Amino acid sequence: MAMMQGPSVSNVEDIVVCRNVHKWYGEFEALKGVDLDVKTGEVIVILGPSGSGKSTFIRCLNRLEEHQEGRIIIDGIELTHDLRNINEIRREVGMVFQQFNLFPHLTVMENITLAPIHVRKWSRERAEELAMQWLTRVGIPEQAEKYPGQLSGGQQQRVAIARTLTMQPRILLFDEPTSALDPEMIKEVLDVMRDLARGGYTILAVTHEMGFAREVADRVIFFDAGQIVETNHPSEFFTNPKEERTKLFLNQILHH
Amino acid sequence: MTTLTNTIEERRKTFFKRFNWQYFLQDNLTGSRWLTIWVAFITLVTVGVFVGQLGSAPGWTLILTAVWAVGILMVVAGELFGLHTSFSRWLKDNLLSSISNTLVTLLIILLVAQVVSGIWQWGYVTATFDSTRTAPDLRSEGATWGVLWGARKLILTGTLAPEHTWRVILTGAMVFVLWLISFIATRPTVKTSMGYLQRISITLWLLAPIASYIFLAGLEYHEPFINIRTLLTGLVIVVAFMALLWFFKVIKLDPVSIGLWVAAWPIGYVIWQLIARTGIFPTINVDEWGGLLLTVIFAIFVNILSFPLGILLALGRRADVQGIPVWIVWPIALIATVYLLSTSTPELWTTSRNNVERALALWPLLIPIAAYFYQRSFQGNMVQAFSVLFIELIRGVPLITLLFMAIVMAPFFTASGSAIKNFWAVIVGYTIFSAAYMAELVRGGLQAIPKGQYEAADSLGFNVLQKYRFIILPQALRILIPPLAGSVIGTFKSSSLVALVGMFDLVGIVRGIIGNGQWLGLRSELYAFLFVLYFVVSSGVSWYSRRLEKRMGLGTR
Ligand SMILES: Nc1ncnc2c1ncn2[C@@H]1O[C@H](COP(=O)(O)OP(=O)(O)O)[C@@H](O)[C@H]1O
Ligand SMILES: [Mg+2]
Repeated sequence: MAMMQGPSVSNVEDIVVCRNVHKWYGEFEALKGVDLDVKTGEVIVILGPSGSGKSTFIRCLNRLEEHQEGRIIIDGIELTHDLRNINEIRREVGMVFQQFNLFPHLTVMENITLAPIHVRKWSRERAEELAMQWLTRVGIPEQAEKYPGQLSGGQQQRVAIARTLTMQPRILLFDEPTSALDPEMIKEVLDVMRDLARGGYTILAVTHEMGFAREVADRVIFFDAGQIVETNHPSEFFTNPKEERTKLFLNQILHH
Repeated sequence: MTTLTNTIEERRKTFFKRFNWQYFLQDNLTGSRWLTIWVAFITLVTVGVFVGQLGSAPGWTLILTAVWAVGILMVVAGELFGLHTSFSRWLKDNLLSSISNTLVTLLIILLVAQVVSGIWQWGYVTATFDSTRTAPDLRSEGATWGVLWGARKLILTGTLAPEHTWRVILTGAMVFVLWLISFIATRPTVKTSMGYLQRISITLWLLAPIASYIFLAGLEYHEPFINIRTLLTGLVIVVAFMALLWFFKVIKLDPVSIGLWVAAWPIGYVIWQLIARTGIFPTINVDEWGGLLLTVIFAIFVNILSFPLGILLALGRRADVQGIPVWIVWPIALIATVYLLSTSTPELWTTSRNNVERALALWPLLIPIAAYFYQRSFQGNMVQAFSVLFIELIRGVPLITLLFMAIVMAPFFTASGSAIKNFWAVIVGYTIFSAAYMAELVRGGLQAIPKGQYEAADSLGFNVLQKYRFIILPQALRILIPPLAGSVIGTFKSSSLVALVGMFDLVGIVRGIIGNGQWLGLRSELYAFLFVLYFVVSSGVSWYSRRLEKRMGLGTR
């Protein structure tokens, strides 16, 4: 199981470096100068009101969205128009979406092994072996031959996580991975995420699961109107936030 | 026995408890004024038709009406005593659900019987089937089916010389055998035990066009047995063919197989030249093809060519490539304008005879306008601009215009000036037309794929080609099966338009046959035949597409 351990934590350089990142959608400025450094193995939870630019920000990190100003450097490679850089970075950065985005015409096993075989150029055997290990780790090895449409939401999201992790990324991006799930399925996905957070991965997660944030986050980042308003340790953040806006936000979501 | 009568009696009682004459009348007759008028009207019509047919064909009319009455009795018995069978329930739900529906059913039965008996009278009872007795003075009052057999050669191959007929039959036989092989290869039991059979069948299918071409168009022998130019051209084709096989996952690309494939061409070339030298398949002028042969060749050619072209155009229309920047477009446009104004305009100006021609001489001024719209609408995106222009231009022109243009303009595009055959010109024109429509269908399919699928593919690091090949197109094409089948059927049917540009496809040849002395005026027979043929082929395609859809539907939501 050695290959399933997360990347080693010995490298403590900043694996993600963002400097003054700006992003416009037409006239609308969605990111207004974001600065953030993330150390290898760090777990970061991103909070903020809807429309504050959380998704936009983490989607810039694997170039699903293009930033127009500032610099983003992932593991020493800067994101530019250069397609080779983008592809290299996408191999390092895995993403899990709110809507799972599994490929409905492929079985679970094919969903997971397609990218390792064609992007990483692994043999089918190697890809399937690792896929099976990840399916086991997320707790659904018996679903390998089913199609996504035959699984529950929680199972689908766990397949999506296994699909992302079989590509052996070093950085994981989660965009509200539990928001589309029924309450009884949230826990099974959070358990997997907790497991990963302790496994040495560098994680940036947008999530409103406060329990998760308290338990495993090294830092909590609060976004508002396209800017980082507060960065804090989770215990401080929830009990004693520095900023007025953070307090307001926490009041709203904790006492609604 | 007593218990049975008891239960029936009980059921009858409960039925009458539930059954209410007032409700029945209200639902069927008196519910609204329009309902009453409608029932009265349909009663009148039905009785009229019934009485009319009773006079002309009393036996059949009475029998059919009796069958209808028995149906009613079955439904009533079912309702009254709870004795429904699945058949009587079906009758009740579909044909006899209310008074007006019951009457309409009888009306339709009687009308259909009339039409069928008319066709039967004309097509069988009073018809002749002798192909030697088709001349106008030998005909009976019914159909003269002998024309179909008598003109079979024309119908099947048109004006093709009779000594080539066996080559057409050979091609047909080859396609049939291939179809049989792939039919066997896709049986589930065979699939697992002899997986290679499927590869063989795909390879044979891909080779079939070459073989068909040799059979149907023939080979010309050129004197130097080894010809460098032909060898190189062939090599290019082989490499393209290889890429296709690789794309359909038939072969894997490793050095050995690449070597084998490349070596295969010289061998193929020698075989080609040997076949040509034997003279078994002398060349046929493609413009001699006609009849069903031409129609089928058109349908297959155009559909197969326009499919990939349509996909490419659709992808092109959505292509998000880096545009050519403004600072390149404008200088080029301006330099071209100035250059052409100084060269082309004076030349045209001096030869111009009136103001319109003088104005036309200033055509280079259109270049900056085009450049402006190019920048504004497409932000310099060449691929998108080309696709959109192509699709919209072609879709804005009727097919028949395009076919005329193809034939008239073809000589301008060939180096020799006249060598191009009408057949090829029409194929090109028709393919372009079909591809433009297909492109819009495919674009619809691509738009139906959720954005998340593209994003998931991107985030996993697939390149554009892989993304479309493995993730987007398989899903889009599945959605597209029904409209694509519609397009295939449409192409097949409207290929009859080529009759209007002087080609003798099935419809063209039938028009010729009708005008021919011996078969003069046998319109109904020949068009009935066309009707059946087109119907069978079209519904065959549509049946196959439904089967395909079901098979590809595995596991989709
Ligand atoms: N594709 C887009 N085009 C235009 N505006 C967008 C687009 N995506 C997001 N936005 C806008 O950018 C802002 C930030 O969106 P998002 O990052 O999705 O917020 P969050 O994830 O924090 O809810 C919102 O105001 C949203 O309306
Ligand atoms: Mg969001």
